[in-house]
Amino acid sequence: MNRIKVMKFGGTSVASSESRLAAALRVISAKEQGFRPVVVVSAIGRRGAPYATDTLISTLREIDANVDPEPRELDLLVACGEILSAVIFTHTLKTLGHAAESFRGGQAGIRTDGVYGNARIVRIVKTSLIKSLEAGRIPVVCGFQGTFIPYEGAPGGELTTLGRGGSDTTAAAIGAALGAESVEIFTDVDGVKTADPDAVREAPTLRKVTYDEVAEIAHLGAKVVHPRAAEIAMAYGIPLWVKNTFSDDEGTEIVSRDSFPGRRVTGVTHTGKLVYLQFDLSAAPSDADRTALESCIFETMARYGVNLFMLDISPNSTGFAVPRSQYHVVENVLDGLVIPLGDAEKRVYLFQIGQVASREVETQAALLGGIGEVRRIPAQLTEGCTMVSLVGHEYMQQPGLFLRVLESLAEGNIPALQTSDSDFSLSVLIPESESNRAVKLLHDRFGLSGVE
Amino acid sequence: MNAHIPPTETAFERTRGINRVEVRSGFAQVYVTGLGPVPSSSRLEVLRSVAQAGVSIDFLKLTPGGLSFLASADKAEAVDQALKDFDAQVLRGRSIVLVHAVNIRDEEGLIARIVREVISENIAIDHVGDMHDRLLLVMDEAGAQRVQSRLNKVRLEVS
Repeated sequence: MNRIKVMKFGGTSVASSESRLAAALRVISAKEQGFRPVVVVSAIGRRGAPYATDTLISTLREIDANVDPEPRELDLLVACGEILSAVIFTHTLKTLGHAAESFRGGQAGIRTDGVYGNARIVRIVKTSLIKSLEAGRIPVVCGFQGTFIPYEGAPGGELTTLGRGGSDTTAAAIGAALGAESVEIFTDVDGVKTADPDAVREAPTLRKVTYDEVAEIAHLGAKVVHPRAAEIAMAYGIPLWVKNTFSDDEGTEIVSRDSFPGRRVTGVTHTGKLVYLQFDLSAAPSDADRTALESCIFETMARYGVNLFMLDISPNSTGFAVPRSQYHVVENVLDGLVIPLGDAEKRVYLFQIGQVASREVETQAALLGGIGEVRRIPAQLTEGCTMVSLVGHEYMQQPGLFLRVLESLAEGNIPALQTSDSDFSLSVLIPESESNRAVKLLHDRFGLSGVE
Repeated sequence: MNAHIPPTETAFERTRGINRVEVRSGFAQVYVTGLGPVPSSSRLEVLRSVAQAGVSIDFLKLTPGGLSFLASADKAEAVDQALKDFDAQVLRGRSIVLVHAVNIRDEEGLIARIVREVISENIAIDHVGDMHDRLLLVMDEAGAQRVQSRLNKVRLEVS
């Protein structure tokens, strides 16, 4: 079966009857050009819309905000958004004279590893999609969901959602399973841009980016296509495009490094509402104590599932940024935490978050005073941070690049709190209030307005 | 229409957790200390000196009174020379351990678990960095081999 094109429409592309019509006409146009379209849809609308994922979740939170819903129930609930969207889109195509049929993720053969809320696709049984295509219909698949079959012959299976970027992942996986000519991710912007247009109004659309670049860009802030989708497309050699449902712009093609050498700097992104913590371990008299304290910090962060960014492990300090949404966990478990160390000579370490000790820390210190010497491990706390990143290829290894970035920020009186870098990016932690100005400064400094 | 289409299955996403651990050797870790209470302008001076020496650096970290970074081992001498006016220490024989784990930043607690695992081996880590699909750890060469062996053994599957 050939000439299959997978077309994925995001929330804004299916939000209203007008936008659904625009999306449906793109599907029909592809069909008239000789393609066999397979449609993947997200839930209708973005944050705040009546059937958007967050709205559905809020119906449970409203019952009692202090009781967390079961992940299984949450998955069943949020999957309704895509089901609704797929049925409405299917009917829209029918009213335009084109036979179509909707599929839940499981009906489309998407099998997952069974992790509620963050499942991974393990295989696709493509029978039903092929049958639909052979019958001349347009399959419309619910993005973001699949089914976990615990054992062969198990009835029904468990509905699981794919987590962040799930609909993009669905589209790429179906494209790979069906050997599609291309996978097109439709959204409300023209493609991958050199920067967020809110920060740089004139930011141009990139015509080509590599899978690695787009994965890094997506992780560092630009929400155009999810890295999991890019990874699947890359593994199966499926051309991936990001296009605008509402314009005729040609969009951005995502390609392998073999076919596109990349450019010096691809873009500037910003992401995250972060809190930065730097633990001063100088109170620990030995390497053994420092190691034990570091181990305790990371053990705790792992146990509570805290995501860490911008890690810094130095001889006398350890630092990292955490998402603001997870900071309360860090504060709850680390502020006032007591670690006794040493055999013959007892040492008691007491963690303190922030310059001023909380009542809990002072109480612990008073109670522990009778046992032995209490050594405090203070953590300098910097709230309201964000990460600004420069993304590109080998240029990231050029001498003087860090200097250029930090000089640019210093000239703009923007403090750099920490840095991190990889093969494809260089990130700086800055005050959140300066994020748009920092993006604009770096965009100008590296001449990205002229990039194509 | 063929009613007997075989249900051909295609495997997709890689499993969670650590997929592969590799070691790259031949680096030098550089620590610069004593840059004073407001070290931002001094840090730029350090970076300027290194850039003028034509040395490419990785893994820059800003420390309370200074900074640290990684350079290729064959540039260690050039770094030494470039930073002779600063309080700099160049540690040769460094390796990077690359811990490959798809979508690592979205797997809650995975980075912390890997770092804890490495620390529990009593290996001093010079630096930790991350990309969308891997964690990078800098340490001495012997430590890197031990970490590779340890992480290959535990794999840290995420459930």
